Amino acid sequence: MPDKYILKKDHLLPLLRKLKKTHRLIAPVRNRHGDTLFAGIDNLDEVRIDLENQPQNSLKQFFFPQQETLFTYSNPASDSYHFEPVVEESPPTLYFGVRSCDLSAVLYMDVVFLKNVKDPNYQRKRQNTILVGLNCNDPFANCFCNATRNGPFIDFGFDLQLTDLGDRFLVEYDRSRGQEIISDWRQFFAEADDQDVKAQYQAFLEARGKFRLQVHLDQAVKKLARDEVPESVWEELSMRCQDCGGCAYICPTCTCFSISDLQTTDHAGERIRSWDACTFSGFTRMAGGHNPVDRQMRGIEKRFRHKLQFDVKKDNRPSCVGCGRCVNICFGGTDIVRFINMTCCENI
Amino acid sequence: MAGLATTFGSGAMTNSINEIENAQVMLVIGSNTSEAHPQVARRMFTAMDRGARLIVIDPRRTLLAQRADIHLAIRPGTDIPLLNAMMRIILDENLADDLFIEMRTENFYELRDMLFRLDLEEAARITGVELASIRAAARLYGRAQKAVICYCLGITQHVCGTGNVQSIANLAMMTGNVEKEDTGVDPLRGQNNVQGACDMGALPNVFPSYQQVDIDDFREKFERAWHVSLSPRPGLTLMEMTHGGKNGPLKAMFIMGENPVLSDPVMSRVEETLDNLEFLLVADIFLTETARRAHVVLPAASFAEKTGTFTNSERRVQMVRRVIPPLGQSRTDADIIMDLSARLGYVMDYESPAEIMEEIAMLAPIYGGMHHDRLENSWGLQWPCWDREHGGTPFLHKYYFTRGKGRFVPAAHEPPAELPDDDYPFLLITGRIYHQYHTGTMSRHSVLLSREAGEALLQLHPEDGRRLGVRGGEMVRMRSRRGEVRVKAQLTETVKAGEVYTTFHFSEMPVNLLTVSAKDHFSQCPEYKICAVHLEKV
Repeated sequence: MPDKYILKKDHLLPLLRKLKKTHRLIAPVRNRHGDTLFAGIDNLDEVRIDLENQPQNSLKQFFFPQQETLFTYSNPASDSYHFEPVVEESPPTLYFGVRSCDLSAVLYMDVVFLKNVKDPNYQRKRQNTILVGLNCNDPFANCFCNATRNGPFIDFGFDLQLTDLGDRFLVEYDRSRGQEIISDWRQFFAEADDQDVKAQYQAFLEARGKFRLQVHLDQAVKKLARDEVPESVWEELSMRCQDCGGCAYICPTCTCFSISDLQTTDHAGERIRSWDACTFSGFTRMAGGHNPVDRQMRGIEKRFRHKLQFDVKKDNRPSCVGCGRCVNICFGGTDIVRFINMTCCENI
Repeated sequence: MAGLATTFGSGAMTNSINEIENAQVMLVIGSNTSEAHPQVARRMFTAMDRGARLIVIDPRRTLLAQRADIHLAIRPGTDIPLLNAMMRIILDENLADDLFIEMRTENFYELRDMLFRLDLEEAARITGVELASIRAAARLYGRAQKAVICYCLGITQHVCGTGNVQSIANLAMMTGNVEKEDTGVDPLRGQNNVQGACDMGALPNVFPSYQQVDIDDFREKFERAWHVSLSPRPGLTLMEMTHGGKNGPLKAMFIMGENPVLSDPVMSRVEETLDNLEFLLVADIFLTETARRAHVVLPAASFAEKTGTFTNSERRVQMVRRVIPPLGQSRTDADIIMDLSARLGYVMDYESPAEIMEEIAMLAPIYGGMHHDRLENSWGLQWPCWDREHGGTPFLHKYYFTRGKGRFVPAAHEPPAELPDDDYPFLLITGRIYHQYHTGTMSRHSVLLSREAGEALLQLHPEDGRRLGVRGGEMVRMRSRRGEVRVKAQLTETVKAGEVYTTFHFSEMPVNLLTVSAKDHFSQCPEYKICAVHLEKV
């Protein structure tokens, strides 16, 4: 079986219609307020799949929801507790239009949630998923996946991967499920020829030259490893941080959570897992009120060290995927690009 | 409001928020911007990145003050002598914009006469700031091409609040720092729609668009539109309503989205007033301390459950759209008012918020061109926006002031109503913190915000802490002539020795039991910022 195919753009919707019969379909959809978000699609004819703009959310919320009930508890007789795990059905799901950054982020989350102790909730949602990727011909204004080395094109981790060649997509597969789709729906796919492969390579070369930011992430990683980041950088950024937590919430690889119990009746309640952020002072404050992290001076330190130092030490690669979402959302100007630039340039 | 209305003619930010990024000098006075207006502070940081210089006038060493080029840590309530001193220095050093004063303003000589009589040494003594620092600030501000003044409740919540604002306006006009882009006087509003409420006439003396009730033409216009006769007399101010006591002027009140029991000064007086009403009706999204005292409570809809507009600090009118239908029995404010009105015998028949907006556009000239269809899919429009073709106004007072000529209104120092003495030796300042909003009606429902800041803290200088034998985290009994609360101490050098600071967000520690009822004579705004208290370790 050849490894590269052509899918005509006209045939994309018909193909998705076929795949939707057996899978829940999630894709970037432009809503009526002009925002593009990854969202479930009920009726393909009623939504506009938007491959031009970057979805504001990543896939994180689908595998690791912002708030999730892990189990319920009750003690009707007030003597012994009874626990009931909450098991949500996770139908087979196809994620379409996933860019290299978001795809890499899912692979990173797999490491967090599945490598050692397997998180059952994550696993349930993650299995039976098909990832259909899209290489980036036009990186967005704040993208820097070239610096994090997982884009703009990616050649592993997906089930199917599309490259936009104008009137057609070049289609590659990496996993067996992708291969199955091609063989199951062979009528949609024609074999790619040399010209197509060359066109893909050309698109890659051009995409590479379209990044607008200069981000020397490897430099920052080195400086962090050698502990050469000036104190003033942490201080300056921490002081400006507005403590909104937006960066962590929107980040496709920020996976910190907190656990809380919500009492629903006098004798019952539920245990909830929800997103948390290491920039919050409540994240590190101890019961007695002491906080080992002075938020005003160092509040933002943990976040960047985790992504660019600790994860590099642990997995040999930073856990920032260069999607630029935190750059878009941060209103204090304390995003990771700012940090990297401040760390690498003496005079900023 | 009153301060800018008398000097410029419009009580609102003269600039757009984004313009702050381009300022050359920023003068922040009475505003803890990074806590209370983070979106404005963000622009200030950007401006500093671009080389802007920052002057902060604040009794406390706030985060912004720590970043300032010049921080004038004045004694609370001495803004007028400080601003007057700055103006005198500007005058002495020939930094006044004579052409601007000549062409665009009036009554300058009255100000100048007063400034010439000012003793700079004495002013420095009153404010507790070194004259050299005041001079440096005056030079920095006076020499800038583009200078922005941002102020907030630290200016207005004083017995001399109106005078404070007028002095700020004087300083800006004297240096010609008004008519241009990136240059002006910017009062920062505390709520998402308080500007809108004022614009719509939620003030005692005006109809929408600041059309005074006692001017016949305006009143007749509204009488024709509403088919009723309207009173030419201004209504009561907030404090007159909530501080009437047993024999107050009101028999019944309808309170919407406000929690005066916690937010107004002298809590016991407010409670007495409300409890003596024949009928109290409260509409709110949560059962607030005020709602608990009501005879009838109407559940209101939250922002996510209604369609309409909010007007922010920079006069920008923006659409808010209903995302979910009102939960339970709750209803939108408009529905509540229309139904209530109908039952009282006056039918208000609007089929949609857009129809209400059409009426606003017709009757309120500054909203003349604001229709829902124009506000859809945009970031809104800034008033004045006179008609459908008008694109809105990013900055005010270009070519002429709203009132014609800008008017200098000199102000003299007026000491605070209550200063520390032997019995009550500490000066208490009240304010806000980043993670909570007003009386906590909404923000305290958030577990996360409560985790970040879940209780009131009293900022106390370490020196005072030692003297009182209080360590951080210990409880303190804080007493004023009006009441007493217990609050946890936080030792910090943010405050000066002899001054303490706390917030009014937490009902367990109702700090407005302590505050004074003294208020500004013009705006009737209470002096929340200063009262004298006694502290002891519990």
